[in-house]
Amino acid sequence: MKAVSSTTLWATGILLFVALLAAPASAQESPKLSDAEVASVAVIANQIDIDQARLAQERSENEAVLQFAQTMINDHEAVIKQATDLVQKLGVTPQENAVGKQLQDDAAKTAKMLKTKSGAAFDKAYVENEVAYHQAVISAVEDLLIPESENEELRGLLESIVPALQTHLEHAQMLQNQLNEK
Amino acid sequence: MKSLKLLPVDLSLLGLMLLCTTFAPLPKPKVHTIEISQMQFKPATLVVSAGDTLVFVNRDMVSHNATEQSGTSWKSPTLASGDSWRMAITKSAAYYCSFHPTMKGEVKVE
Repeated sequence: MKAVSSTTLWATGILLFVALLAAPASAQESPKLSDAEVASVAVIANQIDIDQARLAQERSENEAVLQFAQTMINDHEAVIKQATDLVQKLGVTPQENAVGKQLQDDAAKTAKMLKTKSGAAFDKAYVENEVAYHQAVISAVEDLLIPESENEELRGLLESIVPALQTHLEHAQMLQNQLNEK
Repeated sequence: MKSLKLLPVDLSLLGLMLLCTTFAPLPKPKVHTIEISQMQFKPATLVVSAGDTLVFVNRDMVSHNATEQSGTSWKSPTLASGDSWRMAITKSAAYYCSFHPTMKGEVKVE
């Protein structure tokens, strides 16, 4: 039941936006998100995963979960640095928008839910959320952010992030299986 | 019993043969580069000779390492983007990135 709720949260949040924005974008020529907005969403999406990993570092005692959380912090910080360097080079100021706001609202609900848990229950909920979150973010990057990016370098950066997100998803799924076996 | 008599010329030839056998040049160790990019070791499987050198080069934006599967034989330091690390390989080994355990590679020593 809880597995459904976590997945549903991100699915109804990010994926609904993907569906709503991607469809009109294909019907019209002009994209719905500017590059400044795409950059903002990319930074917010990475920051959310860092914040959730920091929560895991506070609440988990599971070595494998703690290592995963540290990898999420290191990797997503590296991506944010690349994105920040690029927008500075391009002279773009990341601009807040509805997609980013939706992500932050969903993240706040997830953090609230995670803070009610501890021990093995927290580990399971955190890892389960990481699986759902990475699935949703991969869809958002591939189906919304990359198609919406007009700048070639920004699109290239987003494309280069996908393999890392995919690897994070596989890592989270591996952990999920390990935790479910216990 | 017939005794074997060697002439000085025979001895010289024998000496030369021994010298050639003893000091025959060994095959030169090769250097093999394993590139880490798009969250993969490339090539994922590599066939080398004992004593060859492996060079791991991280082309990704995130940090990686190369850790021998058992965790007891060898492990590279953390390789930040652009870093490289080299080691002489003497035994076949499966390895992975301990930060991203689904990233795996294998070196076969023949």
